[in-house]
Amino acid sequence: MEYFLQQGLNALALGGTYALLGLGLAVVFSVLGLINFAHGELMTLTGYGIFYTLLMGVPYPLALLAGVLIAALAAVLMERIAFRPVRNASPTTMLLTSFAVSTILHILFQNLISARPKAIPVPDAIIGAVSVGSMQIGIIQLLSIAITAVSLLGLTLFLKKSLLGIAMRAAAEDFNVARLMGVNANMVISTAFAISGILAGIAGVLWLFQRGSVDPMMGFLPVLKAFIAVVLGGLGSLTGAVIGGFILGIIEVSLRAYLPDGMLAYRDAISLTLVILVLFFLPQGIVPRRESVR
Amino acid sequence: MPVTLLSVQKVAVRYGAIQAVENAELAVAAGEIVTLLGANGAGKSSLLNACMGLVPLAGGQVHFDGQRISGTRTEHVVRRGMTLTPEGRRVFPGLSVADNLAIGAAASPQLRRETAARRTEMYDLFPRLHERQKQLAGTLSGGEQQMLAIARSLMSNPKLLLLDEPSLGLAPNIVDQIFDIIAALRARGVTILLVEQNAELALDIADRGYVLAGGRIVLSGTPGELRASGLERVYLGAH
Amino acid sequence: MAKNIGKYGALLATIMAVAPFCAAQAQDAIKIGFVGGFTGYLAPYDQPTLQGIELAVEQINKAGGIDGKQIELISRDMRSDTAQAAVTAQEVVDQGVQVMIAPCDVDPAVATGQITQAAQIPTIAACASTPILPGMVGDYMFANYTADNLQATALADYALEQGYKNALVLLSRDTPYTEMLPRYFATVFEKKGGTVAATLEFKMGQQDFSAEVTKIKELSPAPDVVMTAAYEPDFPAFIRQLRSAGITAPVLGSDGIDSPTTLELGEVAEGVVFSNAGYPTPGSALEKFNADFKAHFGEEPSAIFTATGYDVIKVVEAAVKATGGNLEGPALRDAIDNLENVAVATGSITYKGMNRVPLRVVALNKVQGGQKVHVANVTPNGADVPPAQ
Repeated sequence: MEYFLQQGLNALALGGTYALLGLGLAVVFSVLGLINFAHGELMTLTGYGIFYTLLMGVPYPLALLAGVLIAALAAVLMERIAFRPVRNASPTTMLLTSFAVSTILHILFQNLISARPKAIPVPDAIIGAVSVGSMQIGIIQLLSIAITAVSLLGLTLFLKKSLLGIAMRAAAEDFNVARLMGVNANMVISTAFAISGILAGIAGVLWLFQRGSVDPMMGFLPVLKAFIAVVLGGLGSLTGAVIGGFILGIIEVSLRAYLPDGMLAYRDAISLTLVILVLFFLPQGIVPRRESVR
Repeated sequence: MPVTLLSVQKVAVRYGAIQAVENAELAVAAGEIVTLLGANGAGKSSLLNACMGLVPLAGGQVHFDGQRISGTRTEHVVRRGMTLTPEGRRVFPGLSVADNLAIGAAASPQLRRETAARRTEMYDLFPRLHERQKQLAGTLSGGEQQMLAIARSLMSNPKLLLLDEPSLGLAPNIVDQIFDIIAALRARGVTILLVEQNAELALDIADRGYVLAGGRIVLSGTPGELRASGLERVYLGAH
Repeated sequence: MAKNIGKYGALLATIMAVAPFCAAQAQDAIKIGFVGGFTGYLAPYDQPTLQGIELAVEQINKAGGIDGKQIELISRDMRSDTAQAAVTAQEVVDQGVQVMIAPCDVDPAVATGQITQAAQIPTIAACASTPILPGMVGDYMFANYTADNLQATALADYALEQGYKNALVLLSRDTPYTEMLPRYFATVFEKKGGTVAATLEFKMGQQDFSAEVTKIKELSPAPDVVMTAAYEPDFPAFIRQLRSAGITAPVLGSDGIDSPTTLELGEVAEGVVFSNAGYPTPGSALEKFNADFKAHFGEEPSAIFTATGYDVIKVVEAAVKATGGNLEGPALRDAIDNLENVAVATGSITYKGMNRVPLRVVALNKVQGGQKVHVANVTPNGADVPPAQ
């Protein structure tokens, strides 16, 4: 029972990070129909942002904040420079553009910064564990869960209460009609990118707490996981991305916790098979995107 | 002579090689209800979308309220006082009625400040929407969605409302309600350009009308003139 | 084969006749090719390796070359792509290199080796550490870096020396390095009397080790040592989560964690012991190399791969001297295969009797107060080293 609870908590913490990443992809996809594969590089940028601000002697919490803001700014610039010129092009063109942005950033990181990882210290205060009953819960895990919860709550409030948030939801449902009502398309898209940057930055910080270093390839794997979470949850649905992220986290942790040793090597294959099974029965994902009545 | 609100001059719209609208000339004066008739695919919606700046013009100019609006962004057109209620209603199904209305007033800071007051006005005009303000728009009936779509367009306090096929797919008694609303709007001083496939209904309410066929204006005049000049032939010809 | 000699001879004669200048130049220079992943996932290994190679080439050329022959280095980026490695290797071979240096990972190294094996060009994999690599390719392929089984033996010897009896092994099947190094460790450890309590697997890049750590906590009796060949970003994540869960067993790692990140991990990494290819003890060749490197590039070496890259050129130098300047493939191959105790930046290298996998020193280091502290230099007993598999 205790083992189960502990693993449940593990799943929650991991799923939360996937949810943040998936949400970042989904926010952009919902308004633009673009899966931004350069999303992972935003995480990497957060890492380098923290590394260099710490180097300049900025206090640790401010450096984390700077890292997140840098990701948000980079996301907005990415849209302005790379995606806006091809906004009306085919989805394939946009997808390829995002691959190009990702590759260019990789190479810039490798050649201008370093191909080797740069260490980012993590304060000892958040490394320990707290005891709840006979369970030991890592502080980083608790922090992950708390930060995920706060981020999701903040984003939900923004989307439900602010006009810009409502406009983003409207644009996600029917972009042309939102424009027709006088919603500023550039504003909505820039905001979507800024939000995706902030989410990538927050996920990046959580990721960095665990890995302790940043290297050019840092964002590669997480963006793949986020992509799986988004497809699982239903492309374009924000709720779906969050649900997809948590489900992916639960699948991964349960397989690692309960698969017999001999089967462990196949766990990625098994988890992807499970994802495909879900999609077989729910081809639009768990939360299908609402189509407007036409 | 009343002031000309909307003036469409030699407008052309193309989608790739397809010529949707060609050399269209049209004018709407303040206080009028003008109807734009035509068969399916005649180019009516394209012309409206072009006026709103949603699709680029391949030729010609659009002036509204004395200023050239062709080439400006949609939100500027909305701010100047022209809105479009699109064909098929296209309410935001996942947003509440209240939020749908809020989007209707998103075009300028001035409008955004007036959102609450305008919304109350809309609830007076459409009591049904008031009852359902918290409900998701996707759960409304077709007639209610059409009311919401019109109310959403009215949130920006337009001088000219472009109505694209408001009766499409609605039951006859609901259609009557919608046309009552259109009449009420005129009484409140809103100028209306009405696109309809149901020519009889539209001609009953309109002051003047245009007939679009194959992307060109082929007829114009008062309802009486249009009826006399063999409207049905144009329709049959276009089919 | 004999039938073709006339044809080749004629071709050769033609080339000599039309290109006397090229032929003359070829005699003066030793052409060494390096097909490396300077961009992509191999960049963290192949970029530093290239720096070490460049430094060695420059020092040797400045000092008059190898027996009067200057070294010409032809390095090409294969973008960490195995298919591209084969294409790039062919391009470099076409430029007439006499020695090739292969990229830092097994697959592209094999791809490179297949081209050079056919062309009879001795090839050295600068930092691929899988001991089966030379056997996979053929008699022209040599390893350079500390082999996985050698390192694992040094670590197992150390663990037993410390009195550890019950080991937990964490491995990943994603690469031969992360899988086989712990397996070699387990083999030696068990053969010499230790027990392996459990073998856990992880997926590289998984970041989250909570499920594995929870499993370790459930083990009874608790392991008294944890061994893994995980490296960044897996190792920092693993050890942080291990310590967070209150598990205090000592941790042994391999040269993959020889990185500033490990030293900056703070308290969680305190006491971690890891092996690598050398430690710059005062007066050692490695200390001198590091000083030369700093003087040349204006920065500290970012990784030991700078020194091991330097070693490759020193091996080539020794081989060319041994053949008396004969740059024919077979002669060079035999010369490398018979090298003994070549003085290199990381210590010394012996190929004789080692099946093209060098015997070299393994350094053991400990993380102490954010510093890398030298524990010992060991050269394992050849008989203890488990066979490559």
